[in-house]
Amino acid sequence: MALRELPYRTATALCRDARPTVNAIQPLFRRNASTDAAPEVETTSFADAAAKPDAVVKDFDPIARSRARRRGKKQLPPSRYQYREPKYYRGPLHPHQPLPVSDPASRRFQPGPFTLPRLDQTYQSTIAQDILAMTYQHYPPGYRAPKVEQRLREWQGDSPYYKGRPLRGPRGKGEVLRLLQEPRTFRNIPKITKVVVHSMVPEAMQDSANMHVAGMILQAITNVRVESHKARHNVVGWGLREGRYVSVTATLEREDASHFLEKLIDVVLPRIKEWKGVPGSSGDGHGNISFGLTPDQLALFPEIEVNYDAYPPKMIPGCHITIITDATSNKDARLLTQAIGLPFYGKLND
Amino acid sequence: MATPIPSPSALRALRASIAPYTRHSQQVRHATLLRRPKRPYTFTQLIQLSDGSAFTLRTTNPQPVLKSAKDIRNNPLWHPSSQKLLNVEEDEAGRLAAFRAKFGTVWDSEGEKGKKGDSLLDIIGGAAKQTDAPKAPSKAAPAAPPPAAKPAPKKK
Repeated sequence: MALRELPYRTATALCRDARPTVNAIQPLFRRNASTDAAPEVETTSFADAAAKPDAVVKDFDPIARSRARRRGKKQLPPSRYQYREPKYYRGPLHPHQPLPVSDPASRRFQPGPFTLPRLDQTYQSTIAQDILAMTYQHYPPGYRAPKVEQRLREWQGDSPYYKGRPLRGPRGKGEVLRLLQEPRTFRNIPKITKVVVHSMVPEAMQDSANMHVAGMILQAITNVRVESHKARHNVVGWGLREGRYVSVTATLEREDASHFLEKLIDVVLPRIKEWKGVPGSSGDGHGNISFGLTPDQLALFPEIEVNYDAYPPKMIPGCHITIITDATSNKDARLLTQAIGLPFYGKLND
Repeated sequence: MATPIPSPSALRALRASIAPYTRHSQQVRHATLLRRPKRPYTFTQLIQLSDGSAFTLRTTNPQPVLKSAKDIRNNPLWHPSSQKLLNVEEDEAGRLAAFRAKFGTVWDSEGEKGKKGDSLLDIIGGAAKQTDAPKAPSKAAPAAPPPAAKPAPKKK
């Protein structure tokens, strides 16, 4: 039986790799739906894309656009049900409680987001994938991560009060518990959570005008109302007096943070003369990266340039910018900020 | 009817929902003012970078369009390998250009070749140049394409 089939088997074995020439030629003559589209796709490039924007700039009229949007639509008629939130919070047992912040009727409601910033689009479309690919650590199947031991110290001794006491932190002054380095997954790709712009104005102890100018400048460049802070301690060397207002901060989140970073990286930092980049030693080991701008450099922001005369030139402060990410190490935080466009120089601190 | 005392979990949830505005380390017995958040007025601004690309921003700056001359697209720090950007001369006040316009020879003023066609040097060197005039474009042609064909700097 097997012998009778032998010639046939041999023939199939030999012909297995040989295919008719028609099949090879076919793709050349076949016509797909994408055939027409292909030449157009190939000719497109980044260099050609720059040709259009002149028309975009010429036609850009935000006021006319918003007017056109509103044209056909009337406002909704007022509702008969009008609820006013209490102006004061009178404690948890009071029958009239404030609304949650997310409710548009709440006094503390903040509308938004209004735009999808370009930085966020870039992050979602490219940066996140790139970071995941670059920092991914592959483990073979069956791998078990070593168990993390207790990193806090127990209370040693025979005092009966040690029993229920919370564990001690790491030994040494100024030592803190480092963040755990979780394996990278698609869920923990580092992203920018906040940007804090901080400006310390010790001259404000003599003349509060410095404080006002610093506040207005930070508000102009960040789109956020600033918060002012008092000195917490007397520091004789710096002439600080406890309880005096000495600094302002603006904390940017979400949309504001993205807009600020775009403006900073694309427009302001490249204008600085002989700027080397962010020092590579920056980074606190917990995913935060900070750098400073001098008064001259801060004046390069377009918001300040447009009415530079409004600010007394001697009172323009410098500032520190801290980019807070949810990365757990300097390396990851730097990877993220580099992808966004911040250059680093010098020795990197890892 | 007396108001029932809320359960501890309900109280906790309530406290969490209003936490950012009633943050106190100690018990507070007075009524706390719930402040309306203040936000500066912002405009939509179109920023056009030096290579012509544009994007919109929300800023406190009332100019509708901002055209920047110096930015990330033409700064050598962001494009360290670009010869085109490294060779550009720093002439923001226009002094070098003014000097060249006044004292420059043909060799200096590359851009103004057509204008300076009747200068003395051109007339003198005209006879010698005519022989290799057809050569010059062919020599320039291979040199010119690389910057154009070079892929545009990658966005971000």
